[in-house]
Amino acid sequence: MTLCQLFLQSEAAYACVSELGELGLVQFRDLNPDVNAFQRKFVNEVRRCDEMERKLRYLEKEIKRDGIPMLEIPGECPEAPQPREMIDLEATFEKLENELREVNQNAEALKRNYLELTELKHILRKTQVFFDEHEGGANTTESMTRALISDDPNKHMGHVQLGFRDKQESLEFLPCFVAGVILRERIPAFERMLWRACRGNVFLRQAEIDSPLEDPSSSDQVYKSVFIIFFQGDQLKTRVKKICEGFRATLYPCPEAPADRREMAMGVMTRIEDLNTVLGQTQDHRHRVLVAAAKNIKNWFVKVRKIKAIYHTLNLFNLDVTQKCLIAECWVPALDMETIQLALRRGTERSGSSVPPILNRMETAEEPPTYNRNNKFTSAFQHLIYAYGVATYREVNPAPYTIITFPFLFAVMFGDLGHGALIAIFGFWMCYKEKPLQAKKIDSEIWNIFFGGRYIILLMGLFSMYTGLIYNDIFSKSLNIFGSSWRSNYRNDTLADNKLLQLNPDSEDYLQYPYPFGIDPVWQLAESNKIIFMNAYKMKISIIIGVFHMLFGVCMSLWNHIYFKRRISIYVEFIPQIVFLTLLFFYMVLLMFIKWTSYGPTPGKLGSDDPDVIRTSAYCAPSILITFINMMLFKTDPNTRPQCDDVMYAGQMGLQKMFVVVALLCVPIMLFGKPYFIMREQKQQARSQPLGAGPEGAEGAQAENGAAAGAPAEAPHGAHSHEEISEVFIHQAIHTIEYVLGSVSHTASYLRLWALSLAHAQLAEVAWNMLLRKGLMSMGFQGGIFLYVVFAGWAAISVSILVLMEGLSAFLHTLRLHWVEFQSKFYAGEGYLFQPFSFEVILDSAGQAEE
Amino acid sequence: MKGCIFNIDGGYLEGLCRGFKCGILKQSDYLNLVQCETLEDLKLHLQGTDYGTFLANEPSPLAVSTIDDKLREKLVIEFQHLRNHSVEPLSTFLDFITYSYMIDNIILLITGTLHQRPISELIPKCHPLGSFEQMEAIHVAATPAELYNAVLVDTPLAPFFVDCISEQDLDEMNIEIIRNTLYKAYLEAFYEFCKQIGGTTADVMCEILAFEADRRAIIITINSFGTELSKDDRAKLYPRCGKLNPDGLAALARADDYEQVKAVAEYYAEYSALFEGAGSNVGDKTLEDKFFEHEVSLNVHAFLQQFHFGVFYSYLKLKEQECRNIVWISECVAQKHRAKIDNYIPIF
Repeated sequence: MTLCQLFLQSEAAYACVSELGELGLVQFRDLNPDVNAFQRKFVNEVRRCDEMERKLRYLEKEIKRDGIPMLEIPGECPEAPQPREMIDLEATFEKLENELREVNQNAEALKRNYLELTELKHILRKTQVFFDEHEGGANTTESMTRALISDDPNKHMGHVQLGFRDKQESLEFLPCFVAGVILRERIPAFERMLWRACRGNVFLRQAEIDSPLEDPSSSDQVYKSVFIIFFQGDQLKTRVKKICEGFRATLYPCPEAPADRREMAMGVMTRIEDLNTVLGQTQDHRHRVLVAAAKNIKNWFVKVRKIKAIYHTLNLFNLDVTQKCLIAECWVPALDMETIQLALRRGTERSGSSVPPILNRMETAEEPPTYNRNNKFTSAFQHLIYAYGVATYREVNPAPYTIITFPFLFAVMFGDLGHGALIAIFGFWMCYKEKPLQAKKIDSEIWNIFFGGRYIILLMGLFSMYTGLIYNDIFSKSLNIFGSSWRSNYRNDTLADNKLLQLNPDSEDYLQYPYPFGIDPVWQLAESNKIIFMNAYKMKISIIIGVFHMLFGVCMSLWNHIYFKRRISIYVEFIPQIVFLTLLFFYMVLLMFIKWTSYGPTPGKLGSDDPDVIRTSAYCAPSILITFINMMLFKTDPNTRPQCDDVMYAGQMGLQKMFVVVALLCVPIMLFGKPYFIMREQKQQARSQPLGAGPEGAEGAQAENGAAAGAPAEAPHGAHSHEEISEVFIHQAIHTIEYVLGSVSHTASYLRLWALSLAHAQLAEVAWNMLLRKGLMSMGFQGGIFLYVVFAGWAAISVSILVLMEGLSAFLHTLRLHWVEFQSKFYAGEGYLFQPFSFEVILDSAGQAEE
Repeated sequence: MKGCIFNIDGGYLEGLCRGFKCGILKQSDYLNLVQCETLEDLKLHLQGTDYGTFLANEPSPLAVSTIDDKLREKLVIEFQHLRNHSVEPLSTFLDFITYSYMIDNIILLITGTLHQRPISELIPKCHPLGSFEQMEAIHVAATPAELYNAVLVDTPLAPFFVDCISEQDLDEMNIEIIRNTLYKAYLEAFYEFCKQIGGTTADVMCEILAFEADRRAIIITINSFGTELSKDDRAKLYPRCGKLNPDGLAALARADDYEQVKAVAEYYAEYSALFEGAGSNVGDKTLEDKFFEHEVSLNVHAFLQQFHFGVFYSYLKLKEQECRNIVWISECVAQKHRAKIDNYIPIF
């Protein structure tokens, strides 16, 4: 990664940046951080792009409203268009938008017209019912309200408003009314208000319109009601009208005579039909416009976004004094300089500029961003690492090792051939269908997590199958592939009578050669001590794997120290660390192997009294844990059994004591070593500086203690360095304590490998015994049905709990083992990510934001 | 104990509100806004803040009124969200906040109809937080009694309105009196309600409402000079839940000019400071701005305590102030009148 300065001729800048964006290998730095967003040079262009995007969004909204499918971009992404093309695009969008707006306006007007007519139609129809009802009902049974209407105005109110009555004399009933349409939910308030405002002197009838009507402005479907209000007098009329207006009710003229109404209804019907044809034509036109736009809209979106991204990038550049060229600073991967130069040349050619762009390397003290090249396989693993922290620049990247250790540690916890196969099949399916699945762009977050980790899942599945074979565990049962090495020599009646029987490895029961691969299937039958046996095995395996994993981690720190030239750190950090770990914990691992190889049954000597046989028999095998604890406490085991040796090999006691002493001596070295050396260097500096040793001496020393976190770049002054030293001391103390205590706790932490594996095996067994076994044991026809039901339950539990939940838990534990136990040995993770300017990323994020 | 159970009902909303509060523009944002040359610049800068793309779908050229509408729309959406997710007693509290907007809307509509404006022209000017169903039919009423009987009796404002029924007809003076009587009743009711909730809510809200009441009392007094409002009538309009009550209000009721008001305020430390800095000279801040500043600081203080409802009120008020600020700045930008552009009231 190098910092480069890029001089671009103003005319060529656009094309060059566009090429770089296609390439996606350059991270530009903001050279005018103090300048406001709206004071930058290309802000007008950005604004034009915003405007174009707005138009496109409008188009898109309209297209979506009509449910027209938008064509995906066929094949290649369109390149960023030339600046002059931008004007064309703008014009096109402008035209489209205007056209669409006009069509929409027309359509809205038409729809409004249509709505009015439909409402009128409904009014005529419903009021007909009111009038009919009234005429029929006035003479026969009269309800309370109707009594009010037909009696009141004519008898009581009538006297008050005589003049009015004269005019309407001929009419038998209500003198005056208005009819209209109102939103259904506003009816209650409307009614109440009318009652109050008119003091009960109006009569309201309403009927619901069953079919929803379309609101032209928002094109929502709304439910409305027809109402008709009867009242008397002009004052009431204005009042009623005001209230209607206030509640946004639309009033329509409604003739009083039935014949007029019928005539009007006919007229309305014909007008509605006419309108329908016109509306249809408008809609067709709109549809045509939108279909045409839908073909290109994705393409346009990409183009506009690319232009916008380019101008945003150009805004980061510095303008030369002469205004002739733009100056950019960028981080560039050192290996890709050639490709970038080529891209720049292409850009220059495209723009037709004669002056080639200049790419200069720059010296900088700044920490470059971290960039690890990944392909689709490694990137998932890299993301697991980045989730903890982005590697410090040029630090050892644990991701490649994680590719193997991660699925492996997972598999140790998840060792089951059957469940592993399920995971592997799922992972394989995702990898196999990669392209179609990727193209689908499924929006579910959970699915995206699974899909992103498809290679991890595949590997986890395969490794689980492998460890499943080693544990000889498939859905909690065993496979007997090679034939067990154990035989039962008991007579049949003995077998029938006894619940538990022993098979002795030093007798005929054992064929004297082990099962070729993994655990002997005979253990499946050992109900009383299978778990004990498996525990001893898995616990030791966990510790062995753990210690090797940690040792590997410590060794990685050596590469870091060598690369960063931290010589002191190698001597006072790496070496004591590795000695500490080896002498204590690796020694424990060795003891395990010694125990495995030197204790065991001697064939054909069952029950022998020979002291040699007894001394190497399982009876005398010491507990590793007790031995290790005693080693730390400098004491011998007082509880050794008679006839057994105290030690596993000659000189064990002395050697162990020496190991512990040496290991403990490493602690003060780790604690004080580095601060001491740093202090000495600083003193030397202080002494050499007045003598004029000059910057070389200081620089040399600086390089030496480059590891000293926060060592100032300038030669520190007396008081200043004192502070610095105390900080170094504290830092180192924390580091040492973390490491020493960590060695113990981290080793113990690896026991989770055993614990989860045990839990998984037991859960699988419970699922089998409680469900499927019951089903398999049931007989007859009903048994078949029962099994059918039970299998469903067992399969559901197997997938949901054993594979998904247990898998997730094992995954998290593995992640922890990598982040905490492994990476804490060497990984600082204090870097920041290389984020190149790339159209791909920008378009992706824009697409996501849209959804 | 109250704090322990607060989060059961109010925790989510308080968190949300505090999150919204973090989106309030900072001093540095204002410094940038002030430098804008055009409204487009303003839009571009606001895009970088919590407002995000709230103007993205507006075709240029922008108008200040569009900005104002959009700002208000955003605030209203946020407030409605809070209101829709709230339960008692928070929902009543939030409703109480909206009542003041209702009062404003009613007065606006009545004044409008008095001046023969069509109602359809007035409706868009109403604050959406204070809209209610019967609002648009308000011009039916010709007298306060009618207004009460026909329109307001169904609204939550009915109890506040009882005192105004006695007024004879709706002229400009009476409308103003109605507004202030309504406000007085509203503030006192709100004050009582907060007191009844108790705890931190009462501590915070009573402080803010007391200031609000006093501010109204002082402003009523100052505005009444030279009008036909009698001193007795004036005294009736003072909300009686502030710190000025009762002695200060009595003194205010006797005041005849600005100097006497100032003399009354002298007795109260926080108000005397406000009068101290205010002046009508160029460069001085007006008394109104001083009041706004004090209100902002009170509202900002509300966020210092947890587990109370005051944050919702304060958030709304701060956000309103922010809208006023942005609109002020955009007006200045739009009219190229930069001399007074710095007269906004910074919040943080």
